[in-house]
Amino acid sequence: MSNLSATLSIAVGALAAEQSALSETANNVANLNTPGYSRTVPSFVENPPVVLGSFTFGSGVSLGPIDSIRDAILQIRIQQETGQQGHLDALVTGLKQVEAQFSNQGSDIGSQLSALFASLAQLSTDPTSLATRQGVLAAASNLSATFRNTANSLTSQQTNINLSVAQAVAQVNTATQQIAKLNGEIASLQNVGQDASAFLDQRDVLINQLSGLIDVSQIKTESGVTLTTSNGTALVAGNQSFALTTQPDVSGLQRIFAQGTDITGQVNSGQIGGLLAVRDQKIPALLSSLDTFAAALAIAFNGANAAGFDLNGNGGANIFTSPPASGQGAAAAMGVAMTDPALIAASSDGSAGSNGNLANFASIHDQGLIASTTPSDYYSGLIFNLGNDIANASAELQSSQLVLQQLQDQRGSISGVSLDEEAAHLVQYQRAYEAAARMVTTVDQMLETVIHMGVNG
Amino acid sequence: MSYLRANPNMVPDLLSQIQGTRQQEDTATLQLATGSRINRPSDDPAGAAQMISNRDATGQVDSFLRSISSVNGLLQTTDSTLSSVVTALQRAISLGVEGANGTLSDPDRAAIAGELTSIRQQMMSLANTSYQGEFIFSGTANAQPFVGDNASPSAVTYQGNSGTNSVAVSKGYSLQVNLPGSQLFTAPGADTFQALTDVINALQTNSGVGSAVTELNTAYSHITAQRVFFGNAMNQLQSQQSHLNSEKVNLSTAATSISGADIAETATKLSQAELALNAELAAMSKVSQTSLFDYLK
Repeated sequence: MSNLSATLSIAVGALAAEQSALSETANNVANLNTPGYSRTVPSFVENPPVVLGSFTFGSGVSLGPIDSIRDAILQIRIQQETGQQGHLDALVTGLKQVEAQFSNQGSDIGSQLSALFASLAQLSTDPTSLATRQGVLAAASNLSATFRNTANSLTSQQTNINLSVAQAVAQVNTATQQIAKLNGEIASLQNVGQDASAFLDQRDVLINQLSGLIDVSQIKTESGVTLTTSNGTALVAGNQSFALTTQPDVSGLQRIFAQGTDITGQVNSGQIGGLLAVRDQKIPALLSSLDTFAAALAIAFNGANAAGFDLNGNGGANIFTSPPASGQGAAAAMGVAMTDPALIAASSDGSAGSNGNLANFASIHDQGLIASTTPSDYYSGLIFNLGNDIANASAELQSSQLVLQQLQDQRGSISGVSLDEEAAHLVQYQRAYEAAARMVTTVDQMLETVIHMGVNG
Repeated sequence: MSYLRANPNMVPDLLSQIQGTRQQEDTATLQLATGSRINRPSDDPAGAAQMISNRDATGQVDSFLRSISSVNGLLQTTDSTLSSVVTALQRAISLGVEGANGTLSDPDRAAIAGELTSIRQQMMSLANTSYQGEFIFSGTANAQPFVGDNASPSAVTYQGNSGTNSVAVSKGYSLQVNLPGSQLFTAPGADTFQALTDVINALQTNSGVGSAVTELNTAYSHITAQRVFFGNAMNQLQSQQSHLNSEKVNLSTAATSISGADIAETATKLSQAELALNAELAAMSKVSQTSLFDYLK
């Protein structure tokens, strides 16, 4: 079998193999900046030898299966960390917007409360002055306006986050649809033994996106990847995707349903998890603290006013509007009920010039108003908790970003396209191609020699 | 592949470094601009909470200081009024003693009685002194305290009440700022108006002038004794004021140590961040510029 035409066919096979390898290199270089692309490495396989009697002849090379270089476990770690990062990112962004309400040190609730106490102290030095009394009402009205504005801003932030939840759910549905479609393509390619690495890369990118949005568990099955949410409801099974739906609850907040089951409380990870944490936990907790604070202050100031007599010698009426009995919504509804400054009950005995009852107002400052905490301490506790939440979440976000970056580095070091490597391969394949071509020329010349042997000889 | 592969794509790493450095730069700039290390609660949660207590305490001290200066005006007016009262009474006593001299003629006594009558009127107007539109000797009532009848001078009625006001001048310390006129001018057994009336009557009838002057003496010592109250109160105010001023300094020192940005350190941080940023940008511009492809011809 060791004849010239066999040698020619070895050379031609080599030409084909090197050309295919070169095209893989070209593909790698072309996808240098494609996100999620895993580089491919062509594998050359020696053809089965031909045995003739006691001789064994090689029969050339062909291109084996093309390896797409990827690390499936690393990919899963990246997806988990992306989910964590999505959660923290949404949490920190949401909380920072909340924090802005409490960052203005000159006009926050704490300073408005101090101003109210100061105006009352001023009144105690001149209890009959209507101007000073007006000052007290103005301070009270500033305080309640600040409570109202803060509570309203928090509520509108909640509404905005609610919109983002609905948008993120729509993104989840787009991603799951695409993943299901890719699952189908991958399965049909793999069934006929073809390389599906391009689709695998795309699917990894999409699953990664999905993890950045919501909790995802993945199970590899024969029909591709099955994705489920945290409670086990399928998002994608084979080439089928199951859309999440949203439905507003009584307060207008979107609940998330997976195939009819409310999973809102079970979403922890990803952007949606972070958004929900701000919408359903952080903001409501803050609002309820503000409500408690506003209600306690209104009751305490009204109580102090009721203990004394106004400028006309009558018992003190309410300064602030009575908070709702449950306390809920007290901050948003806080207002000043009194319009006539003469009705501030400075007097303890009914005589117009007495300031005796103002001591009752002043004592609110140091009273254990809410769970034996003074108003100022209650407010500073609220600020501490908020600041601490943000500081912790930011620190976690930073470390999560570092981890993710390292994982991406690791992925890059395994799957990323290196131009140096590709250049080296290019040279390697090009030279091999040239050599094979030379081989064809040589065999051609030899054949010519053989053909002309009888004619001219 | 038998070599350790590095991640060929360095751009994301570098970009995130650059972002981090820019953030440091922003933080340092903000701190320099505000002079404060804590610009949001999350910058230092415990510090931010402390700052709220600090601002609250500072606000309270400021408010006490304002109260002190208002009260001080009232006390000074009261004290100087009483000082005029005392002077007038001294004059009345010496006139009374002069009138008690048996060698005086009736017209002389009538002249003395006349002068005493005008002292009595002066006394009346002093007892009705007001400060910022309010009578200072009416207790806590908002009415003219002493009303006399010029036709029958003996009838002076007190229309105020016996109430007193106290003003908080420091944490947990309230200072009484007034005495009711009834306690000063018409106290039982030391009634100034009654004593003056009695002396005038005694001079006009030339009987019992001596005992009437004794009455005047009693009223004089009563008012002098009561006046000490205001002197004490003003002393108290002064000591509270200096105490509060030093507390204010302490609070602002504490505020600086809690939230004040160390300017030198922050400026250094800023220039370090700028340096780092320049280096990172330079690295960014060099990265991936060369590969093996550049050397293949």
